[in-house]
Amino acid sequence: MSKAKRICSLLLISLLAFTLILTGCTGPITPGTSSDTPTETEDSPKTQPEEPTVKLTWYLVGNRQEPDTPKVLEEANKYLKDKLNVSLDLYVFGWGDDYDQKVNTALAAGEPIDIVFTANWAANYNVNAASGYFTELNGYLAKYPKIKEILGEDFLNGSAINGKNYAVPTNKEKVHNWGWLLKKDLVDKYNMDVSNIKTIEAIEPLLKIIKENEPEITPVCIATMDAPFQLLDWDRISDDDVPGALYPDNRDYTIVNHFLAPESIEHYKLMRDWANKGYIHPDAATMQNQVELMKSGRYFAASQSLKPGKDAEMAATTGIEWVQVDVTRPVMSNRETTGALLAIPAGSKNPEKAFQFIELLYTDKYMKNLLNYGIENVHYKKVSDNVIELIDPDNSGYNPGHGWKFGDQFKDYLMSNEDPQKWDKFLEFNEAGLALNSLGFVFDKTNVETQISSCKNVVQAYYKQLFTGSVEVEPTIEQFEKELKAAGVDELIAEMQRQYDKWRESK
Amino acid sequence: MNGTVEIEKTGILKMLKSRRLGNKVSPTGNILINLLFIICSIICIAPIILITVISFTDEKELLVNGYSFFPEKYSVKAYDYVITAGDTIWRAYGVSILVTILGTILSLMVICLYAYPLSRQSFKYKNFFSFFAYFTMIFGGGLVPWYMVYTQLIPIKNTLWIMIVPYLMNAWYMMIMRTFFKTTVHESIIESAKIDGAGEFRIFFVIVLPLCKAGLATIGLFCTLGYWNDWWLPLVFITEHKLYNIQYLMYQTLNSIQYLASGSAQFSESSKVLADLPSESARMAIAVISIGPIIFAYPFFQKYFVKGLTIGAVKG
Repeated sequence: MSKAKRICSLLLISLLAFTLILTGCTGPITPGTSSDTPTETEDSPKTQPEEPTVKLTWYLVGNRQEPDTPKVLEEANKYLKDKLNVSLDLYVFGWGDDYDQKVNTALAAGEPIDIVFTANWAANYNVNAASGYFTELNGYLAKYPKIKEILGEDFLNGSAINGKNYAVPTNKEKVHNWGWLLKKDLVDKYNMDVSNIKTIEAIEPLLKIIKENEPEITPVCIATMDAPFQLLDWDRISDDDVPGALYPDNRDYTIVNHFLAPESIEHYKLMRDWANKGYIHPDAATMQNQVELMKSGRYFAASQSLKPGKDAEMAATTGIEWVQVDVTRPVMSNRETTGALLAIPAGSKNPEKAFQFIELLYTDKYMKNLLNYGIENVHYKKVSDNVIELIDPDNSGYNPGHGWKFGDQFKDYLMSNEDPQKWDKFLEFNEAGLALNSLGFVFDKTNVETQISSCKNVVQAYYKQLFTGSVEVEPTIEQFEKELKAAGVDELIAEMQRQYDKWRESK
Repeated sequence: MNGTVEIEKTGILKMLKSRRLGNKVSPTGNILINLLFIICSIICIAPIILITVISFTDEKELLVNGYSFFPEKYSVKAYDYVITAGDTIWRAYGVSILVTILGTILSLMVICLYAYPLSRQSFKYKNFFSFFAYFTMIFGGGLVPWYMVYTQLIPIKNTLWIMIVPYLMNAWYMMIMRTFFKTTVHESIIESAKIDGAGEFRIFFVIVLPLCKAGLATIGLFCTLGYWNDWWLPLVFITEHKLYNIQYLMYQTLNSIQYLASGSAQFSESSKVLADLPSESARMAIAVISIGPIIFAYPFFQKYFVKGLTIGAVKG
């Protein structure tokens, strides 16, 4: 009796173990087979009178799922039914961990998702593409050439990995520069001339005026990484808080530790000087959120990543008028080329349909605006042909701010408070950009994971004090350098240099 | 015989007396100890009060003056936002309550039904099943296989069950419960019940469980807290927005803000996106609301709590 039971339980357990192994297998298998099956399924129903509508699942990153998403999708699906015979299922997940966790697990498990948003900062594009979780798109790009025409070869190649495209970037501003946003009422009040501000130091006289005449206002607004340090515009190889960058003017091919480069140390000293003069809030090192600070109306100047119309955009978000002062030269870097991409996961059962839909986002103005602004006369109303206004700006049922996340942003309607020339200026801005030497280079972190995380810890412990001028520069730098050395910064930079040189040779 | 009893009595009395003297707390000591605990309590309660005050503080005031226990200007705008933000928050609230109640009941049942046989001497495969449970405490399958089990083997992704099932069995709680059964219910009680003609189920439900209320309450409270505070399961498994629970909703908002503010997001729109997220006071209002029902669970479990914990801990 007991023997029979024991055998029985053993059998059950081995069955359980076996099913576990089997389910484990399905993951890696699906990507391989999925590329074959859809062609069959697509071919066979053609003989039937009506092809079944293909459902596309789409993951996007955002603040929240807008309450009216079902309504908008219903509208979109009506349109898509005739156009491509697909229907859309859109999911929006929160920034950071939330999105990464959901997408990365689903990709690793080989779930049949059809389109995912990816970037160098979300659902890590490089890692997931290298792991084979994304479908290679070169074939589709050749078959449906419109995306290539719109984006241009250069920009598209910037997001390719070893010559293969695993995702398509949004057509938007392709370059970035840094500068200041100055509070407009104060600029007007003191009749300030902002046209000559081309360096960080050049703004000092203005800060002085504010400090002397406006006791309520702090001249410079700094919070975490949003500091004037960004105006040095180092061409970073890895994350914001990882040492290692190239000079942003293509002067050479040597990677340096940009936190301790002479220019940066000079900058820390300048910040120390500003802090001593009272231009920087004494507890700036503990501030968390620059935009929140700007909203309070108690700050005069904030360093920001700029593009045409940034002043109007920030005026809308902060409720305060700003004057935009461009300081650095526009450059095209990896930040832009892999800043917002759409990829087709290998688990997708209908990669071709998914690609056709992605193409529609670049070519179809109606579709693009429907997903971006919702339904006309329900969520927005047209002021003129290309200008719209939200019907209920404070409590809109659909205002996800998706514009820059997919497709061709130049096809988006403009809000009535935006510059009517915005898109023309964008194009001009794109033209002016300098393509950096590192464009297209992807740093593989696997060999130096430990060094990166220990260097990050050190940087996190020091950068705020230095960026805000809260401490004496010389002794802090000494200590900073010592700790970075101990954390293995030299090996890290050497590894970056090695990979970079190798990549340059292969180009 | 009588004499020895007398001597023993006086001896015990003496001992008690001296002990009481030795144990008596001096007035200064008394004040100090009281002070210490008052400080401890304040440290625990102050943040909750602060959060509540912040949630009632005017947003502008927060930006200008920062946090304060005594803000100059009060406002209920944050709660206004929470209430008008559509049914998202209320629905999440409902999901949390439902999952917590259902999960706690089911989880208690599964844990007890596993623990009870293991507490009985007469159960033959006791060691095997103890080891089976213990094994899961040391080794896990990893995230992706675990994910596949709930999406492919038992396809309950995007249902309420996914927030309940993975936490149904907890090996550690099971061990506490087993020890509790063992120490509280003596084998002879079960034996006598058996002699009186009770079957196994009757013994378990009518005799054993009522004797172990303290243990049930303790584990029940752990489960309740576990289910109420969980945001990890929705993070991994729930893509349907209707099924978000309140903790996950909060996690999502806070995490997004933290991420965008840290500067890790390298896109030019991050500042604009950040500004669209709920304001400081609105976040605090959600936090205050989420404390709500769970605070009522404590007094309910309190009377059993201390007893249950010590028994479980000493022999665990």
